[in-house]
Amino acid sequence: MSEIVTITLTINGRRITRAAGAHLTLLRWVRDEAGVTDPKYGCGEGICGACTVLMDGEPVSSCIVLAAQADGAEITTAAGLLERDGSLGPLQRAFHACHAAQCGFCTPGMLMSAAALLADGRTWSPAEIRAGLHGNLCRCTGYGPIVDAVEAAQRERAQ
Amino acid sequence: MLTRPFRYERAAHYADACDLLREHGDDAKVLAGGQSLLPLINIGLAQPGVVVDISRLAEGRDITVGADGYLTLGALVTHARLAADARARSAQPLLPEAAAHIGNNRVRNRGTLGGSLAHADPAAELPLVMVALGAAYEVTSGHASRSVRAEDFHLGFFTTALAADELIVSVSAPVLGPGWGWSFQEVSRRDGDFAMAAVAALVRIADGLVVEARVAAAAVSDRPVRLADVETALTGCPPGGVADRVGPLQGISPAGDAGASAQYKRRLARVLVIRALQEAAGRAGEAA
Amino acid sequence: MTSAEIRSSKAEELRVVGQPLPRHDQREKIAGSTRYAGDFAFANMLHARLVRAPVPSAKITHRDAAAAVAVPGVTCVLFGEDVPHNVIWVDVPGQTVEVAALKASMEVLATDRVRFHGEPVALVVAESEDVLAQACDLVEIEYEELPGVFDPAQALAAGAPAVHARGNLLGEWCIDRGDVDEAFAAADTVVEGTYQTQAVDHAYLEPEAGVGWLDDEGVLNLRVATQVVEHYRDVARILDIPDSRVRVMAPYVGGGFGGKEDMTVEPYLALAAWRTRRPVRMQWTRQESLLARPKRHRMLLRYRTAARSDGTILGQQVDITADSGAYAYLSALVLLYASVHACGPYRADNVRLHARCAYTNNPPTSAFRGFGGMQVVFGYESQMDLLARELGIPAAEIRKRNALRRGDVLPVGQPIDTEVFLGQTIDAVCDRAGAKPPPSGPRRAVGRGMASNIQSYGRLVWLNDSAAAWVGWQLDGSLTVRCGVPDIGGGQASSLAQIAAEILGTPMDRITVHFGDSALTPLAGTTTATRQLLMSGNAVHEACVLLREGVLRAVADEAGQPPEGLRLEPGGVAGPGFGMDLRQALVVCRRRNVPIEALGTFFGPKGKPVVRDLKADRVFPDFTFGTHLCDLEVDLDTGKVRLLRYVAAHDVGRAINPLSVQGQITGAVAQGLGMALLEEVAMEDGVNLTGGLFQYLIPTSTDVPDIEAVILESGEGMGPFGARGIGEPPIGPPPAAVASAIQDAIGVRPCVLPITPERVLECVDAARAAR
Repeated sequence: MSEIVTITLTINGRRITRAAGAHLTLLRWVRDEAGVTDPKYGCGEGICGACTVLMDGEPVSSCIVLAAQADGAEITTAAGLLERDGSLGPLQRAFHACHAAQCGFCTPGMLMSAAALLADGRTWSPAEIRAGLHGNLCRCTGYGPIVDAVEAAQRERAQ
Repeated sequence: MLTRPFRYERAAHYADACDLLREHGDDAKVLAGGQSLLPLINIGLAQPGVVVDISRLAEGRDITVGADGYLTLGALVTHARLAADARARSAQPLLPEAAAHIGNNRVRNRGTLGGSLAHADPAAELPLVMVALGAAYEVTSGHASRSVRAEDFHLGFFTTALAADELIVSVSAPVLGPGWGWSFQEVSRRDGDFAMAAVAALVRIADGLVVEARVAAAAVSDRPVRLADVETALTGCPPGGVADRVGPLQGISPAGDAGASAQYKRRLARVLVIRALQEAAGRAGEAA
Repeated sequence: MTSAEIRSSKAEELRVVGQPLPRHDQREKIAGSTRYAGDFAFANMLHARLVRAPVPSAKITHRDAAAAVAVPGVTCVLFGEDVPHNVIWVDVPGQTVEVAALKASMEVLATDRVRFHGEPVALVVAESEDVLAQACDLVEIEYEELPGVFDPAQALAAGAPAVHARGNLLGEWCIDRGDVDEAFAAADTVVEGTYQTQAVDHAYLEPEAGVGWLDDEGVLNLRVATQVVEHYRDVARILDIPDSRVRVMAPYVGGGFGGKEDMTVEPYLALAAWRTRRPVRMQWTRQESLLARPKRHRMLLRYRTAARSDGTILGQQVDITADSGAYAYLSALVLLYASVHACGPYRADNVRLHARCAYTNNPPTSAFRGFGGMQVVFGYESQMDLLARELGIPAAEIRKRNALRRGDVLPVGQPIDTEVFLGQTIDAVCDRAGAKPPPSGPRRAVGRGMASNIQSYGRLVWLNDSAAAWVGWQLDGSLTVRCGVPDIGGGQASSLAQIAAEILGTPMDRITVHFGDSALTPLAGTTTATRQLLMSGNAVHEACVLLREGVLRAVADEAGQPPEGLRLEPGGVAGPGFGMDLRQALVVCRRRNVPIEALGTFFGPKGKPVVRDLKADRVFPDFTFGTHLCDLEVDLDTGKVRLLRYVAAHDVGRAINPLSVQGQITGAVAQGLGMALLEEVAMEDGVNLTGGLFQYLIPTSTDVPDIEAVILESGEGMGPFGARGIGEPPIGPPPAAVASAIQDAIGVRPCVLPITPERVLECVDAARAAR
């Protein structure tokens, strides 16, 4: 059977230590061990982006990172973008204002990729935003409102 | 997902990692960035009993430009780091350019140089560029090291010269010298997808003529292919006339798939060779 | 910001409907807290996975689960014999017994024969997901391969291996209208074309998933990603238990597009939960979904179009051959839609159509946004462009000349009884497009293309479609809506709130919609066929009107006011010199025995069932019309296509929420562009070669331009406030618009989908050869 490893992850500011199968991906660990279900399983290949989380600030496909490799890291998911009082954070408000979610399944991952793009501090053009998000698939929106949302968040941040 | 549980070993040094590989033999797979291995495990196509994690090795992360005219990259340098590294771009721009074409930013954040080279996908960007540059890989089995040239390392379809207990430690590639121009061309169905064809080219111009060229193509065979015929045909060519010197490509045998036949890939490869040579010659002209 | 342009023809004083209000589900989705079908976990939960056939056509000669059951943590392995009623029936409507079976069936778990690569044969149930992969490997199943057939034309030829006992012709439809031979004889020109569309996958971001459990009443509960909660009946059939013992709940679904219209995980969750008496979760892998879920029907379309020199179409001859794959699913209906829509939004008085769908040992095919009406757009719009070029008439002009008008009759016999805004949609895209951009360099060519379409909304009229919704006031004036409609991302639930807000004056943030529960919400039917706004929208409308009438009457009686003078506003009832707080009005209702809750039921239009020789004065409730325009650039050496601009205009009757309408348009266009340029389920001799998303290429953000939506509001629809359906229509035109633009760029038109770079180069070569 599988070996058990004990690892510690700080997920959205909450430090969690668990002993679980060494073979668990970061995605499975976050969802099943820590009960944080906003990153989604979409493909297991690292392609669709629905599992995107920030690992020490960098966007990664959590379905193709082993939890054991992430031991000690800070993990941020969409829930981690909320304000302390539970209201939507600035990027999320922009998504909301621009109607950037339809079925919503790609949204948590899309938010994390967008957050990483904006964390860089640069000002991106719409074409650059569009290119920066090309690793996150969406089947519902046609991407326009999502690009708009990131642009809007970027503008608001500048003010 | 279709993962079968496996055991996990984390190595602190290359020597430990190689010991573990010897201990577990066929049952072990090396995990660095995981961007090739973990999808295969998730889909059920790889079923190791043990995964040896080298992603936290102390060694293997440096980028240095030596006085000997070589750019040396640690095997654990990620594609994102390589793509963004200003020293690497100034020393040998082909490498960061190729790295920037790999997958998406998440893959680049985790995927490593050593991982890409050892995985040896015939369509991959970094093996292609290494072959074009004539790079050398430093390989260790823990107690011994050897140097393997890129063209001797990539043997076939996902097959390399690595022994079961060996790991790549670093890669050295010549710096772009005076008079040289470079180009990287890739066409895939979507941005970041595996190439339908890719070409890396270097051209040196002296006294207004091409005196040396190195051209290689990926996704046209079971490994990157140096296009020796093209290189020879270019000698003495004026930079504006490179296109005329490129005949049908020899020594390639692309595999067709549902979206692109072998014939199309062959045609595409030739178009990219011409574009690469034109761009490289143009850059060489500027550099001169 | 890219908001849609809106052009309204029938102005109406509306307060809430028509406003671009954020949908109430947005907030939770963006906060990451929405729980989809795979996000639920129970204590004591088991996990289930299917063992699927690795070959496309075989007898099953041996099945043994002993080794799998022996694996620690495996609870049970089920075969077909363990299923109380191991069959799922599907109606095959409109056929005669001479043509094909009137009902088709497939097994829940195959016992004796498999007919497609990926067909389920065994169900493994285990304590943890980790054990499943190994256990599935150990289920011993032996196959003796049988000859298979992998092309519908071959399947219909004499001597083809029989996929099912009664032969390979699953369904056939014919239209014979007017005098086609005379029309062709009288024509100034006849253009011919053969067009091929490919099998594509829905590729929703959420792979199939769900949880099943027995509740305290002993009722089997299934919480699954589905477009149809009414499948509780099918599940009850399979378990051989009463319908009232099964409950299906649909949480927010991560995309459906028709792929979650048939049952997916339901039968297997039901079996496992019923058998083990424990909660069970099932999560299909993406690779499993790509392998075995039904796809869009591949179609071979042959058209001959006869016209006068002024561009007027005199006659159409259409031949359609479709690949139904191994099982019927909804194939006969898909083919029916294709047949009814085959001549497009144009007058065609002389039509001969013959459509057939055949069984093959390819992956099964079923519903996918557009449902047959989508594939034929590629055919009829290609023909329009051919005609336009042949006769030297501009593309917009020839379409307007032939456009259906109110009173015209479709080839099947249904008259169009609403205003058709096709011309206006053509004008809208042309107005917006401006000049065609120049190429970005040498060896590049820019082209502009246009395509119009017609797509029905609402279900086939003889299906006696209906939807019900319950609306009730809380005593504090807030509102509860209960409706069985599944919400698959199109804002189905939120639209109901917006309609209620309009009629009752309740602010949107005081309305709660409970949806998608077959036991606790009135049934509203499938979220398919672009029917929900028409059906549940009208049902909510009706319930709200009843409530409004009731409260106004009660208040009128109480206050001695004439009811005609009173109106409901946010906060209460108002009239000339009069006002009553809503809470007070509700107290008045209760005192006067006036209900403050109402059930509304909307019945769809009726019609007679069709037979193989199609002739009906009504098949669908109504239709939506639209036109798209596409600018693109072709790399003449690599064949790569770069989309520069895309404008899509549709008459939606009334946009209940313009944001939702815009979202449906842009999303459907992106999906259509994927089919045009990128997507194909690759198969070889029935073996599905599509191993994952690394091979199945759906559009990313850089594959589509900023899609511009123009929303026209004719007010002519049958939905609430004159709305037409918009979920499916925008997916139709993109392949034709792209092909049209490529022809404009290089002179030759691609006729096979997807339009790969290689196929573009073939056109480039053909154009060069022709010069």
